[in-house]
Amino acid sequence: MEQLSQLLASGLALGAIYALVALGFVVIYRASSVFNFAQGELVAFGALSMYSLAKLGLPWPVAVVAAMAATGLLASGVERVILRRMVGRPVFVTIILTLFIGILLRAAMTIVWGPETRGMMATPWEPMATVQLGSVTLLVNSLSAVAAAGLALAAFFLLIRRTRLGVAMRATSSDQEVALALGIPVGRIFGVTWFVAGALAALAGIFLGMYPRMVDINLGFIALRAFPAVIVGGLDSPGGTVIAGLLLGVLELLCQGYINPLLGDFGHNLHAVFPYVVMVLFLVVRPYGLFGTHDVERV
Amino acid sequence: MPTRALVTSYEQELQLFPDRWHRIGLLLFAVLLLGWPLLANGHWLTVGNLALVAVVGSVGLMILTGFAGQISMGHAAFLALGAYTAAILGERLALPFWGVLPISGLVAAAVGLAIGPFALRLRGLYLAIVTIGLLFLVSHLLHSFPDLTHGVSGISVPMYSWFPGETNDHSFLSRSQWGPLQLDGDQKLYYLFLLLALGATWMGKNLQRSHTGRAMMAVRDNDLAASVLGVDPARTKVVAFGISSFLAGVAGAMFAFQQQFITIEPPFDLHMSIEYIAMIVLGGIGTVFGAVTGAVAFVLLSPLAELLGRHLPLLDQLSSAQQSSVLFAVLLIGFLVFEPLGLLGLWLRTKRYFLSWPFRY
Repeated sequence: MEQLSQLLASGLALGAIYALVALGFVVIYRASSVFNFAQGELVAFGALSMYSLAKLGLPWPVAVVAAMAATGLLASGVERVILRRMVGRPVFVTIILTLFIGILLRAAMTIVWGPETRGMMATPWEPMATVQLGSVTLLVNSLSAVAAAGLALAAFFLLIRRTRLGVAMRATSSDQEVALALGIPVGRIFGVTWFVAGALAALAGIFLGMYPRMVDINLGFIALRAFPAVIVGGLDSPGGTVIAGLLLGVLELLCQGYINPLLGDFGHNLHAVFPYVVMVLFLVVRPYGLFGTHDVERV
Repeated sequence: MPTRALVTSYEQELQLFPDRWHRIGLLLFAVLLLGWPLLANGHWLTVGNLALVAVVGSVGLMILTGFAGQISMGHAAFLALGAYTAAILGERLALPFWGVLPISGLVAAAVGLAIGPFALRLRGLYLAIVTIGLLFLVSHLLHSFPDLTHGVSGISVPMYSWFPGETNDHSFLSRSQWGPLQLDGDQKLYYLFLLLALGATWMGKNLQRSHTGRAMMAVRDNDLAASVLGVDPARTKVVAFGISSFLAGVAGAMFAFQQQFITIEPPFDLHMSIEYIAMIVLGGIGTVFGAVTGAVAFVLLSPLAELLGRHLPLLDQLSSAQQSSVLFAVLLIGFLVFEPLGLLGLWLRTKRYFLSWPFRY
């Protein structure tokens, strides 16, 4: 029982990170039907810029906001310089383009920060501080990841539900041409969308860097592990990905705790691919994900 | 450079080499291909061998992505399956290479056919991500049977040309002498690979012109319309997956024979899948010509990129593999933004320029 609740708690913390990364994918997908394969690099960039900013001596909350802003600017810069030219061309091409943009960003980060791993910057609380909750011991770091994910989600939903900008974003995602005809600056909306996705990626990177407490350019590989969350939740459903992210985080740790030891050699590292197994099985039943829109084609 | 004569009959439409100029061009090309191992030294011969492996693999991906329109990021998984099948068959059963190659293809094709049904329910991105999942699953499977695959420590790939006897080992890679012609292992490998690459290209070209290939293109362009016209999208997609993964499996076995010692990752990871996508994008999506030129250009340019990368500022801090991938990323972004038809588009544009010379249209 104690192991179960411990696993559940750690699973939620991992799931919160997945949810943040996955939300970045969904934000961009909803606006432009582009799946941004460079999202992982944005996560790594966020964490690395946070490291550098904290090293400059900025207080922690300021550094977090600054890192989010920097990553957001980088993302919208990429959109403005390269992807804006692709409007009106097949989406497939743009998606492939993001793969190569990812390679470039990775190389640029290697040049700037170098390949070595470094410890994450100090947080306002003790790095290994824990909270006792009944029989479960929780790291403050993982609690803060859950809290940050919750806050970011709330802010995001406020943005798209309650503000004029959000209405414009939703209009753009539902039909670009009509949005243009209604006087919505679709190009600028894309820029904002990428900014939001970049900021979310940075937030994920920062908390990911605090959890195993190290930062390097390979941090971006987390994005590969967040794919199942995006797919299970439904590519165009922000709420769905968050639920799926938390769910898959928990399932991954439960698999690590209970299934891995049973299977011997085969179980070694099974938890790393387990979300993918869940995703594949899930897609057989619901190919459009948990809350994704089911395309209906009429002839 | 004259264009093809006016097509007046269906037979003419189906001709592979429609006129004299195509035939002369192909003859020169064939001479170059056959003479390459006699001209090139060790390093460039290896590059040539890798290019031929890439041709087989990229024709495979072109059939799936270019013809049938199914985005796959899991091509490396099929190559890995082919490579490991080759290694295990060689090590355990000491099968000769001509038995190993088709079996490797069939093993990969079996997995491809098993994935096919998922493609029936999934579209575009969902499929791309499921194929990434396949890549991870295959890599996990290969890691989790260390008795067979030797796990992370890698496995050596013997290449027999006949069932090994008591006295001689019949390794394909040993030097052999036929009359005045003396060939060493790499040169023999080159001619074998050339044969296989030509076979794959021929198959791709014929597939493109047959009703199966046209059904694939119909499904790619609009599967609903295709099914209204009597094409069975389900069957077509599964066939595309089967053929594509067969070729990928053969390419994997070729790669294993060329390397002689393989590990699971680095080579067979997401990066390799992206490289194959890069090849077909570079060549021009949707044609066999594009798959072949893209693969050859990609592999031949890699050593050039390494040479160039050393002299560029900033880039000299990266590893040579990263240098070449950066230069390729830049090249491909340029192609995607400015010339979506790839090398084929450049070729068509050059041809049109000379055809209409001195006019500019």
